[in-house]
Amino acid sequence: MDYSILAVQLMTGLAYGMLLFMMATGLTIIFGLLNVINLAHGALFMVGGYVALTFVKEYTNFWIALLLTIVVMAIIGVLIERFLLNRMYGKEFEQVLLTFGLIFVLSDGAKWIWGSSPQAIPVPEALRFAVTIGDISFPAYRLFVVLIGCIFALILWYLEAKTRIGAIIRAGVDDREMLGALGINFKLVFTGVFCFGAGLAGLSGALGAPILGLYVGMDGDILILSLVIVVIGGLGTWKGAFIGAILVGMIDTLGRIWFPQISMAIIFALMVIVLLIKPSGLFGKEVKA
Amino acid sequence: MNKQLPLAVIVVLILFALPLVLSNYGMRLTTEIYVMSIFVLSLGFIIGFAGLVSLGHAAFFGLSAYTVALLSKHVSTNTYFLILAAVLVAALMAFITGYLFVKTSGAYFLMITMAFSQVLYAIFHQTRSLGGADGLSVNASLDLGFGAIRGTYPMYYFMLICFLICYFLLHRYIHSPAGKATIGVKENEDRMKALGYKTRNYKLIAYTISGAMAGFAGALYAYFNHFVSPESLAWHKSGEALIMAIIGGASFLYGPPIGAAIFVVLQNYISTYTERWPIIMGVLFIALVLTRRGGVADVLNLLWRKLTGADRKESATETTPTVQSGVSKEGSGE
Repeated sequence: MDYSILAVQLMTGLAYGMLLFMMATGLTIIFGLLNVINLAHGALFMVGGYVALTFVKEYTNFWIALLLTIVVMAIIGVLIERFLLNRMYGKEFEQVLLTFGLIFVLSDGAKWIWGSSPQAIPVPEALRFAVTIGDISFPAYRLFVVLIGCIFALILWYLEAKTRIGAIIRAGVDDREMLGALGINFKLVFTGVFCFGAGLAGLSGALGAPILGLYVGMDGDILILSLVIVVIGGLGTWKGAFIGAILVGMIDTLGRIWFPQISMAIIFALMVIVLLIKPSGLFGKEVKA
Repeated sequence: MNKQLPLAVIVVLILFALPLVLSNYGMRLTTEIYVMSIFVLSLGFIIGFAGLVSLGHAAFFGLSAYTVALLSKHVSTNTYFLILAAVLVAALMAFITGYLFVKTSGAYFLMITMAFSQVLYAIFHQTRSLGGADGLSVNASLDLGFGAIRGTYPMYYFMLICFLICYFLLHRYIHSPAGKATIGVKENEDRMKALGYKTRNYKLIAYTISGAMAGFAGALYAYFNHFVSPESLAWHKSGEALIMAIIGGASFLYGPPIGAAIFVVLQNYISTYTERWPIIMGVLFIALVLTRRGGVADVLNLLWRKLTGADRKESATETTPTVQSGVSKEGSGE
């Protein structure tokens, strides 16, 4: 095996892992606080990619499109939380079913609006070059995605450890009732968290579109990988999502090259092993799983 | 229960007489409904009576369909052998995965079953010798020893009888001591543990039975459709089955078949007018969940009790409000 190829693949895996990390963070925080697995999260990712595509065509500037996409997806997130999930407050199973129904609406809606042929967003011009180190060259855009992922992890760490919002969310994950008793408007917190998660899905969808392309069925692919990440890392913890996403991104990318038929099976085996040894996931708080 | 026996007999008679009024197309559709009903019944059984909500049940369905396709190509075309092998493969797979998965509950169970079925999908999708993305055709015909069963009428009656047998077996199981213990585990696992029941075993048995039955449905589907594609394993298929079970109401055994019938008829009817069936289905489904009335079976049951005025005499199984109440605590293991 040529080392330079391996290094490039590792970087590709890392970039993919970072996209998955941003996805899975939304999923895992929503679960930690609302107790709902948002099954529509993959669909939000995909719609985010398509929305970015439209904005790129409209404004031709990738960065404006990226910002607008985050805003649009965050608004969609607020609408979903306010008008659907909110009505089923305290009934988690119904809420999961609602998000499940949303998959069909969102993914078929995307097919309706944007058609079913695969599309892609071109890599933004500013990043259309390769970074060469020794005899290895990486596409700059992927390095950029990795950088965004790392910055995002730092921001999350800062938010969680140092700010009031972080404290409220940590408290909410631990004990929802107590949070309400302390006089915090947790309905607002729920909406905020869902909005945050949807915005993140939009961000990662838009960032991912130049790498992964946009195709029918990508919502399912992404959702499954995110679920695996969340299970491996532990529900409700973004640190777990970070480690899990890097693992899954690497295994998926390298597995596709070396064992194309069983790359999914390897990821799944990893998940089963983690669950058997530590049912709450690598970083999960002890749950009765 | 005896009060409902005449009703059950009437329904069965109607099902047997249906070919008198149905068109050829209607018969094929109804035959498909029977096959799907067996599949959805197996899923509804673990949701409504064991509290296990799976989003990967198509794994067993598709695996059996593939078993029939592959074995008929390479080994033998004997119907008994093929169906038995398919059911055994599904049961074995359900037992092994169930042994690992049943430990978990609620959200974890849902995610892990979904991921598992997706793994099978990926393997079948990417392996050329297993048909790959194109799928496999099934070159075997149903033959129970007295001539091949083909054509609309024989198929209709064969699938109907298969469906009735499955329904009857599940009905017996639910009313057996083991079945009642399973319901107890769903209602209150800690209490059943305190009473000395090995709760995990009951869940595992239910899951294995359900997997075997889903496998049976998959084998029948292979014969019905003469073709197996990797999509029959994918989570979309599982999701459809879940929707059917919820539409029908999973807390009653007769809910899932009703759900399957509504789903398949609507799907065929609406698909002739528009390609946007998934959106319509999604919206309908969301609306149904938002009304919080449970499935069709819950509504029917309410009507039946009002009509007969027998509110109090219902058995414990029948008064379980909705499937949702049993699993609403999922994931909240604090």
